[in-house]
Amino acid sequence: MGTSADAVTLTDVRKTYHVGEPVHALDGVSLSIEQGSHTAIMGPSGSGKSTLMNLVGCLDTPTSGEVSVGGNRIAELTDRERTDVRGRDVGFVFQTFNLMPRLTALENVALPQLFQGADREERYDRARDLLERVGLADRAAHLPRELSGGQRQRVALARALVNDPAIVLADEPTGNLDTDTEAEVLDLFETFHDAGTTLIVVTHERHVAERAERIVHLLDGEIEWIEELDDVDGDGHRDADGGDGEEATAALEGESDEQVGEPDDRQPEGR
Amino acid sequence: MKLRQSFRLSWRSIRGHRLRSALTTLGVIIGVAAVIAFVALGASLQAGIIGDISPDDQRNLYGWAADPDTEGGPLAGAQFVFTQDDMDDVAELTEVEAAYGYATIDAQSVTYGGETSLQGEGLIAAGPSYIRESSIDEGSQFEMGEREAVINPAAAGQFEENVSVGEDLEIQLATGATETVTVVGITDASEGLSPFEGFESAPRIYVPTDPFYADQAVGPAAGDGDGDDEATSVRFLAIVVESPTADEDDVDAARAAAIAYLESDEADASEFLGEDLAITLQTSTELLQQLEDILDLLQNFIVGIAAISLVVGSIGIANIMLVSVTERTREIGIMKAVGAQNRDVLGLFLTEAIILGVIGAILGTILGLVAAALGAWYIDLPLVYPLEYVALAIAVGILVGVVSGLYPAWQAAKTDPIDALRYE
Repeated sequence: MGTSADAVTLTDVRKTYHVGEPVHALDGVSLSIEQGSHTAIMGPSGSGKSTLMNLVGCLDTPTSGEVSVGGNRIAELTDRERTDVRGRDVGFVFQTFNLMPRLTALENVALPQLFQGADREERYDRARDLLERVGLADRAAHLPRELSGGQRQRVALARALVNDPAIVLADEPTGNLDTDTEAEVLDLFETFHDAGTTLIVVTHERHVAERAERIVHLLDGEIEWIEELDDVDGDGHRDADGGDGEEATAALEGESDEQVGEPDDRQPEGR
Repeated sequence: MKLRQSFRLSWRSIRGHRLRSALTTLGVIIGVAAVIAFVALGASLQAGIIGDISPDDQRNLYGWAADPDTEGGPLAGAQFVFTQDDMDDVAELTEVEAAYGYATIDAQSVTYGGETSLQGEGLIAAGPSYIRESSIDEGSQFEMGEREAVINPAAAGQFEENVSVGEDLEIQLATGATETVTVVGITDASEGLSPFEGFESAPRIYVPTDPFYADQAVGPAAGDGDGDDEATSVRFLAIVVESPTADEDDVDAARAAAIAYLESDEADASEFLGEDLAITLQTSTELLQQLEDILDLLQNFIVGIAAISLVVGSIGIANIMLVSVTERTREIGIMKAVGAQNRDVLGLFLTEAIILGVIGAILGTILGLVAAALGAWYIDLPLVYPLEYVALAIAVGILVGVVSGLYPAWQAAKTDPIDALRYE
């Protein structure tokens, strides 16, 4: 298992926590995620989603088995090397946005490059470029509290992408957003996915998961089944072959790949 | 991460909690200010004293005889043991340039041109060379055995019409007697000439010990009163022995010769010397050294107390940094998630603590110097504030920051990003 085209490979991964008696958060999970793919991970709470995310995000190491991210076996890395991989190859998007409250949108986006040792000018140029691509060029100087939920999540997405990571990990990225904003943010995710970013989205919402190419269903720390989804219109939107098509269609209604952000947002030209 | 970026981020979070940061810094400000103020005041005090010792004075040895166990400044525990004969004999020694007794004659007032001015300071009786020729502005030294006086500008200027050389002064002594003296010289400054007098500016009248001390000494100063020849019966409490030069070897030789003679059977003084009394002969510098030692001790004591407040200030920073780390657990998690290394996080929090420490130290130094300047002005001293204090204070600020910030920063650095991101 695991080819050079795989962004992430998990081989018989187990993660056991000792809270009184041992709890197997992950119990023999094997999975490979192709470069440039879009994978959704679903499952009830306690199924091991978060643990899987932490492992793929190089925040944690497996108890046994092998996790490989961008060709790096993370269990063999030192803490410092793992942090390097995390900073360089992984971009995080969280349900609660997790922006630095005292930094402006621009500074938030530029933050990951700070830890890579990039120059100020270089960082801000890159951050400005990404803010433009998520349609927030005019919000660069705003603090997170001055932005709407959707805007914050777009800043978070820009930040996740700023180091040009191999994979973007999104943990319930739309959990705190209303339906309209959710659609905008998901469209934006797809835009970047189309541009080649490997996307892994953890969600418990079916219609969010259905945008992926496949859905990995977790239950009690094991992969229950992997659901392959068909491409609906051939341009990135997928439909489930075994799922609730109606819900998925509803979520896609009135959208196109090109339309991103709020209707009154000025779209940057030449995007 | 570069230092400058770390500084910017830390400064941002300090500004995010203005009041808290200000109060935290206040602890350090007060500590540093207290230390700086006391150190600067102490240095000013010492400079004030040392600045008053004239180079001329360096070859004088000031002496007295006291119980060797007596502690204290010049003349502490001194007894009347030296006769004029002793002084004359000491002056004859080859190692000694001059030797004479020193005494203060109590006086009430001085009258000049019908005008009377109080002279509570009394008259200072000594040998002619007590007033160096180089420090006489006008006229000359008085001569032994003559009713002459040398006065300082403050004494000359205290009357409506300035006293000039050749004029007579009428002095009412404490005994009620009146002496008339002829002013033969006026000195160039009003500060005291030796540690026996003190160094402050005051009207002073210098007269020869003979005849003034011999005639006017009262109480125990009048000597053993056995009716011998007056010149030998009057004993001195304090003496001055002059070495030919200010060279340390010459001064030591003069000291050794004088003490050897005074302790020998030839000297009148020797009958009282022995187990109970020992002769002390010291230069101004040596005498002031004792005073300086006492000042140093006092100053160290006060600075020690002030330093405690600096420690309290450091604890304040440590406390605030710990609170800050807890409060920003989530931010730490975010930073780690986006690739911050442990050392980056450590650096950020340490920088923050150091910034607080350094700001406190700089403001404290300024406040301390202002306080010292006010104090020096109040007690009329030249303010001494070496520039290295500022550098030292900044170093202390950095030290305080590092010491108090290290543990909280380490706590922050080892925060588990998974827990931190989950932290509410």
